[in-house]
This record gives sequence, C-alpha cells and structure tokens, in this order.
Amino acid sequence: MQTTNLQVRKRIATLFFLFTIVFLLLGTRIFWVQFVRGAELSEKALQNRMRDIPVEAKRGIIYDRNGQELAISISADSVYAIPAEVVSSEEARAIAAKLAAILDGDENNLYDRITRNSSFEWVKRQIQPEQAQQIKEADLPGIGLTEESRRFYPKNTLASHILGISGVDNTGLEGVDFYYNDLVGGTKGRIVVEHDAANRPIPEATHKYIPPVDGANLVLTIDETIQYITERELDKVFKERQAKSAAAIVMDPDTGEILALTSRPTYDPNNYQEYPAQNRRNYAINDAFEPGSTMKIATAAMAMEEKIVGPFSQFYCPGHIKVGKETIRCSGGTAHGNQTFAEIVEKSCNVGFVQVGLDLGLEKYYKYLHAFGFGKTTGIDLPGEAEGIIVPESRAMQIDLATMSFGQANAVTAMQLMAAVGAVANEGQLMQPHLVQQVIDKDGQVIKKYEPKTVRQVVSADTARELCSILEGEVTNGTGKNAYMPGYRAAGKTGTAQKIAPTGGYMANEYVASFIGFAPADDPRLVCIVVVDAPQGYPYYGGWVAAPVFKAIMEDSLRYLDVPQREEIDSTSPPTPEKVQVLVPDVVNLPLAEALSTIKERGLSAKVTGEGNIVWQQTPKAKTKIDLNSEVIIYLSPFEQNGENTEVTIPDLQGKSMKEVAKILADLGLHLLPEGFGLAYEQTPAAGKVVTSGSNIRVKFQPVGE
Amino acid sequence: MNLKRLKFIDKPFLISLIVILGFGLVALTSASQGISGDPYYYVKKQAVFVFLGLVGAILVLSYDYSHLRRYSILFYGISVFLLIAVLVIGEEQRGTTGWISLGPLPAIQPAEFTKIMLAIAFADFLNKRKGMLNTLGEILPCLVYMGVPFMLILMQPDLGTALVYIAITIVMLFVAGANPRVLGGLLAFGAGATALMLFLHFQLGMWLPLEDYQLQRLTVFLNPYEDGQGGRGAGWNTIQSLIAIGSGGLTGQGLFNGTQVQLNFLPEHHTDFIYALIGEEMGFVGAAAVVLLYGILLLRTINVSFHAKDLFGTLITVGVAAMWLFHVFENIGMSIGIMPITGIPLPFISYGGSSMLANFLAVGLVLSVNVRGRKIVF
Repeated sequence: MQTTNLQVRKRIATLFFLFTIVFLLLGTRIFWVQFVRGAELSEKALQNRMRDIPVEAKRGIIYDRNGQELAISISADSVYAIPAEVVSSEEARAIAAKLAAILDGDENNLYDRITRNSSFEWVKRQIQPEQAQQIKEADLPGIGLTEESRRFYPKNTLASHILGISGVDNTGLEGVDFYYNDLVGGTKGRIVVEHDAANRPIPEATHKYIPPVDGANLVLTIDETIQYITERELDKVFKERQAKSAAAIVMDPDTGEILALTSRPTYDPNNYQEYPAQNRRNYAINDAFEPGSTMKIATAAMAMEEKIVGPFSQFYCPGHIKVGKETIRCSGGTAHGNQTFAEIVEKSCNVGFVQVGLDLGLEKYYKYLHAFGFGKTTGIDLPGEAEGIIVPESRAMQIDLATMSFGQANAVTAMQLMAAVGAVANEGQLMQPHLVQQVIDKDGQVIKKYEPKTVRQVVSADTARELCSILEGEVTNGTGKNAYMPGYRAAGKTGTAQKIAPTGGYMANEYVASFIGFAPADDPRLVCIVVVDAPQGYPYYGGWVAAPVFKAIMEDSLRYLDVPQREEIDSTSPPTPEKVQVLVPDVVNLPLAEALSTIKERGLSAKVTGEGNIVWQQTPKAKTKIDLNSEVIIYLSPFEQNGENTEVTIPDLQGKSMKEVAKILADLGLHLLPEGFGLAYEQTPAAGKVVTSGSNIRVKFQPVGE
Repeated sequence: MNLKRLKFIDKPFLISLIVILGFGLVALTSASQGISGDPYYYVKKQAVFVFLGLVGAILVLSYDYSHLRRYSILFYGISVFLLIAVLVIGEEQRGTTGWISLGPLPAIQPAEFTKIMLAIAFADFLNKRKGMLNTLGEILPCLVYMGVPFMLILMQPDLGTALVYIAITIVMLFVAGANPRVLGGLLAFGAGATALMLFLHFQLGMWLPLEDYQLQRLTVFLNPYEDGQGGRGAGWNTIQSLIAIGSGGLTGQGLFNGTQVQLNFLPEHHTDFIYALIGEEMGFVGAAAVVLLYGILLLRTINVSFHAKDLFGTLITVGVAAMWLFHVFENIGMSIGIMPITGIPLPFISYGGSSMLANFLAVGLVLSVNVRGRKIVF
C-alpha cells in the first residue's frame, strides 16, 4: 500500500483551508445581500410586481342577526390598456376613436394614454355596465376590463359606528370592517403581464389571471329593527336637547350579544367625507365619562355581596356627611332622613352610599371594581375602545372611596357600564360584549362562530336577583320614574354627573345625563344604557333626559321581540293600584319640551297638534282634575292673534323662573319667546310698555350664580 | 468487491448529498409552476435522472478505481473526440454549441462527461510525473494536455465550463506537488494575458473566441445597471437574481410565493438561477443551509482524498472536489452578484440530465476511492 507523502498531505490541508475560506466568503455575501440590502431589494421586487394589473377582491357582506344586509360590496368594471399590445396591433388610432365613442372621452387624450410608454394604464375606472358591455363586444386589442369593487351601505347612517368605513383602496378603516379586515377583506387577485428578459411586455403573450379571493361575510349580533328603534329615540333627544354627543346600547344580558349600538353625532358611511371627522367617533366605546349615580348599582352589588347591607338595613341621611375635611352633600342638600337601603337606592341618596362605600373599605371596593371590568377594555370587537380611568389604588384616599361610591372620581365608558349592569341582570355573571355572531362564506357555510363568553362570576346569583328588585323599585318609586313602562317591569338607575372641565374642577352647567336599566326585571331580556353628554336646557337630570329614551327603546324593542306583557293588574307595581286623579298643569306659553316634561311629571301623557315650539292652548284646561295617565292635548301655534285685541301693560319679569314668566304672560294673553334657561334677566319690550294681547315678548334667561 | 469495505463509506458525505438532492427537487417543484402545463414535469424528469445517476454511481463505486489508469489514454481520446464532434454536429442552445442528439435519445452535453474522464486521465498523467513538476518546463506538458480540451470547449463557446477545466487543472497540479511559485506565476500570467486581450479587443478590435454578449456578461456583474439599457440588458439577470435573494429575508417568501420566480422576473430559475429561487422562497435559512451542505460535501471529499490509498486516488478526488467547488462558487457567486454570469449548473440542484449523471459518476469515483482508502489508525 503506497502512502501519500507528506508534501501531498500538506497540500491537501492547504486546499481544505482554501475551500473553507471560499464557503465563508459565500456565506458572508449571502448574509449581506439578504439582511443588509434586504429592504432595498425587497422594494425593488415590489416595483417589479407593480406591473401587475390588480383585481380587487370583494369585501364580504355584513348582515344583521336576521340576515338583513347592512353593508355590501358593489362592483363596477374598469378599463385598462396594455400599451405594448395596443401599439403592436398598429390600430392605436382606431382603438382610441372607438374608446372615445364608447366612453364619451377625448380621442387624443385616450390615444396618448393607451400608447404611453408603460406596461399598464388605466383608461377609465368604474364605468357604466352598458359601456362595459360595448367594450367587451368591441374586443379591442390591448384593451381589457377588470372588476373593481367598493363598499355600499344600503341603510345609510344606520349602525354607521358599528359598520365603519372602507377606504378608496377597499380596505376597512373603522368599525367591524376594520376589526375583521383580515376575514372580510379577502385577497387581491392580479393579472400578470408576462415580461421578457428585458422587461418588455410580450404583446401576444397570454395574461396570467390570478383570481381574487372574496372576503367572508359577517353576521352581526345587531338586530336591525332594535338598532333602528334605538337610533330613532336617541336621535330625538340628541336633537331636542342639542347635546354634544350621545350614545345608546342594547344588549342581551345572558349572552353579551349587542343588539343595538349607536352614537351621536353620526354620519353616512357612503359619503363620510362630507361629515366632520369627529362624527365618526364612537362615543359609546371611545370616550369615558364620570358615570354619576348609575355607578351606585355596582356599589350596591358589592355591599350586598359582602353582606354589609340588606334591603332593609337602616340609614340616616342628614343631607350631608363629613369625610375627612370634606363635606359631601345629597343633591340639592336634601336630607332624606331615616330610610332603608332600598330607599337610598331609589332616592339616589349620596350620603347613604358614602356610608356604604366607607363600610366596604378600599381593598374590597377595588376588588369588585376590577371584577366588574372597570379600568379595562371590555374586549368588544371594535377598534379604539377606551379603558376609562380609575383612581390608582395606591393613591386612593378615604375621600376618593367616598366619591367613587356614588359615581364620581372614576371615568368609565358606556360599554363598560353596560357590561357591568349586564352582570347584575345575568345572575351575577359578567359576559363579554360582542358584535359578531358568526363568519360565513358565500355559500352560507359557517367558517367561525363566536359563542357567548363568560368573563367571571362577579357577585352571587342571589345578590344579583335581590338587587334587581331594588332597582325595579327605583323605577317604580324613585328617580327613574320616567323609565316606568305599563307593560313591562323595568329596573334601572338614573345618573347625572357634572362634567369635569379641562382645567380641572367640575363645570357648573355641563352634565352627563344617563340611564341604565333592564327589563323585564324578573327575567331580564334586554339591558339598555342611554348616555347624553351636555344636554341643553332644564331639567338636565338623567331621569328626565335619558330615562324617557330608555323607556321608548325598551318598550318598542320588547314588544318587537314578543316578550309577553305583564298582567293588567300587578300587585308588584304600586304606582296605579286604583284610579288616581291629578290636576292638569298649566303649560300654556311653555316651550314644547318643557310642557311635555311637565305633563309627564304629573303622570299624564301629551298629544301634540299643530306646528311651532310654544304651547298656545291646552285641553283640558289647567287645574282640571282628570285620571292619571290620561291625555292632555296641546296645541302649538305660530303666534297668531286670537281675535279680540285688548291692551296690556308688560310687567317686570326680572329674576323670575321660566315657569313663572310663562304663567304671568299667559294670564295677560301674551306669547313668550324664551332664550336660554335659568332666571329671566332681560326682556323686550321692556317692562311698562303697553302692547296688544297676543304680542310676542322676548325674554332672556340665564342660569343663577354666574 | 468486498462489501465489508462499505462500512468505511463516508456518512456525512452521503447525508449532505441526500439533503442537497432533496433541496433540489423541492426547489424544482416551485420553479416548474409557471413553466409548463404539468407543474411536476421537470421534477419527474429530474427524479429519473437522479435514479439513473444512482445506478451509475453504484456501478462506479463497485469498480476499483485503481484499474481506471489503464484506460486513461482511452478516456482522453474519447473526450477530445466528443468535444470535436460536438463542434461539428452539435446543436446550438442559447448561443452555445454544446449538445449532441443521437436519434431518439435526449440531447446530451458531452462537456459534462468529459470533465470526469479528463480528471481521471489527468490524474494518471500527473501520477506518472510525480516529483517532476518543479520547473515551468516540467509543468508545461501538463498545460498542453489539458489545454487541448479547454480550447475546444472555449470554441463552443462555453466559457463557464472552460473555466471549470482551469480550476481542475490548477488544483490537481497543486496537490500533485507542482512548484507553487511556477503555478502562481502561471495564474498571474493568465490573468494578465486575459486583461491584455480584453484591452486589445475593446480598444483595437482584436478577434477573441468569445461573442460580445458573453464578454459583456463577464464584466457587467460589477455594475449591473451600467449595461447600456439601464439594467434591462446584460445586467438584467444579475439584478433580478439579487432582488430575488434580497427579498427573501430570514425565512423567505414561502415556497411557490416568490414573486421574482413565479412572475418570471428571474430567468432560468430552474437551471442556472435556481439558487436565487432558494434564496427568495426559503430565505437566509435555506440559502445558508445549501452553502453549509456543499461545505460538508466538499470538505468530506477532500478528507477522502487525504486518506486515499494512493496518489492516483487522491488526485481523482481532488479533481472532483475542484470541479464541484468551482461550480458551486461560480453558480452561487453569480446569483449573489460576485461572479460573472457564465451559466453553469449548481451540482445536484439545477435541472439537467447530463450534469446530474456526470456528477453522480463523480460521486461514484469519490466513494470508490473512499471505501478503498487507508483505515484511519490514529
């Protein structure tokens, strides 16, 4: 056996070394190209691809829970040209002429465009179907059609904040269209124009067509009818009270399914550019506010769960309570005196709740605050949900605890409050609110189903049930009377919170009025929250502004859902056990809103006839005794004279309330044209002037203490 | 042959070879997508070539390579004959007269096979001159010996393959004990002469055995956008290949998803530029794995040559290693823009029957030397 000699072996070793160097060199260079130059080269790869002709995927349809179409995709054909093919056909002039005839365009312009030195040109986008048909029939060389699509919302503004908008490039920008873009958006297709080695499109080459994959369809939990009812009612109060913003949500407490969700101001997603951008803000989830008394529901639940109070625990309210150096008062400084726990809920007694909160202590209070989901997003499937702000536990003092207990200091979103009260209505189980029920493909096959998700048991079922009946009492006997429905047992809580000024401290005249509640109280089917931000005019209380909206939404929705109405005579509903007679109030000369609420306050209903916004006459007349719940017909008038003209002297109205002014002027047969609210401080004509009866007196009011 | 010797077979060599073949078939599946009606057309054919190659390799392996030296004159003669024949009756493909068709058989590329035969013949040639390679005078006959087939290939003209011959010649001479100073001088002279000829060609129009487009391809990789057409001429391949590899990133665009490949921006992506496909669709992970695997394959080949029982065996394996190294370096190098575009295949990965068969014959040779090598005692 001959051995390789030492020299050969040394040379092989050298070779080994050299080979290794070659491989290291290759490895280093590959690393350099892929990582250091990666971004630059990827960009170039993109530029290469841009020669594709895009084929838009259709976005999936968005349905309500009953299969009503809320958002669809409509498509239109767009005409493109492959200039290389047009030129090589040697008929560019004739093609341009034909295109000009069909598309009603300028021939020279079109000629320039279709012979441009590029691989792809749009001739005209989104043309009429007849034009597309003509172009198809003309079969021009180098000219083709491709389908483009865009979103169309057949119901216009309905559910706009849920549906969101889609941009010009057909991607979801807001709402569920954004949140579920990956599912709904589909995948773009493309037509690839073949290129030779020198990147010139091959004229006679077949184009490779990669079809787009259309997006999946969404089935929302929204019920179009309930959404419509909710929007109609919220719209009324938003316009009547010239509020800054407003929101209403209706949820099924058992599943967390959102049946309606709407915010004001709103917009039409079909042409959202025509509305201010802030109209697209979804007040229901994007903004947090101090909840006020509605938060007392949470405090009550905690205290009852911890057995600190029972419905009949005794409290004494002297009208104020001292916490540390601060004194907290009940609204208006009213002393509620001796009362049970149920009564402090009904009367929304701040002092009582401060006592309850202080008994609970910071640690337990925070434990339940987190358990109810405050300070964290609810996980609703919409973009931009706010977390709200809660006072950090580490910094919380007794005074914070005291104010939190009746709804100050912390800020929450309407959705959070909704979920929390939903837990009370659902035997203590907090459900995750959600908007999408399932995702289906175009054949209706279910791709994905979103089952109800229990977040946690916050309080026991017994506590929740007990609280439900206390809250029902609040509607029948307490501040929430305006939410009372004859047909259904409603439970709920009003809330009126002063708004915090950007500079700190509370603003004197801006309030957030809210009402949250559910019905039927013994087996809640719907939870509904109504929040109105900065309603103008008086009264601004939640019980006056939000509760009637809640009532209207619930009444119509429950009836629509065929929820059985309660028996005519129901021993658990104390307000009308027998016929009660009331005095008809005097509403002549009052502004319409004022008149309506005055009539409602007496437990009467109003029927409005005529046009205008000032009450001219009423039937029956003031101080007549009629049955509770009867109808008062009020006539509105555009200030015409009423026959005989007697001369009257105008009295001095300075410092009088609007009701007083209305009464005085009505007695004299004069019309009131009010401006602002509060107490009268200016009038035209001035006091002492003699006018004929039926004249208009303009009176300016302003709030006290300014 | 003694089957017991098979236990000496080099396992890392075999494993890396198998994985490389796997990479090749996967890459070809993706490369064929846009090319023909049957997306597996090339894969199926390549699989047949692999099978034939395997049979060939086993036959070669079972034959004791040391008897091959008896036929070295024959191998040399056949090679020169084939290379002349291809010039006379060959078919031109992509500007190179490199293929011979015989009746219904698929066209073959003789230059792929003559590489192996000439490596054997040259190993014998050098073996006889052991210890007599000290002066230029002693080395010159070797250059003439390999120069004849080299010139014939250059006349096709197939510069890439011709350069492989230079690599094989130099490496084998070096291991056979040639005076390094003379070798270095020769390389310097060759480079200088090439530069001078290019200068004379471009400045004074001197005739060269290369087409102008080939010459431009040799230089354009340095500045691919300076090809007179803004990167759409001779620089196109380099640019597209770099874009493909560069957009691969760490894990690649995914198989069948590389836009450079699937939209046909990258030419020859099933043959010469298949490495760019791997870079784009499998990313740095795939690209680096391939380089690493070739590294193992080649260093194990050199290890075989180190432990060969005789100088003849050493020289054959070293020749094969030089051939593969040059193929790998040149092919990957042109894909990543550090080598001119000369169009030679990536061994075991690029599509092509002749190349696959020839490379498997080379595998057979390496393993034949391997199993008959000295036992490692230390």
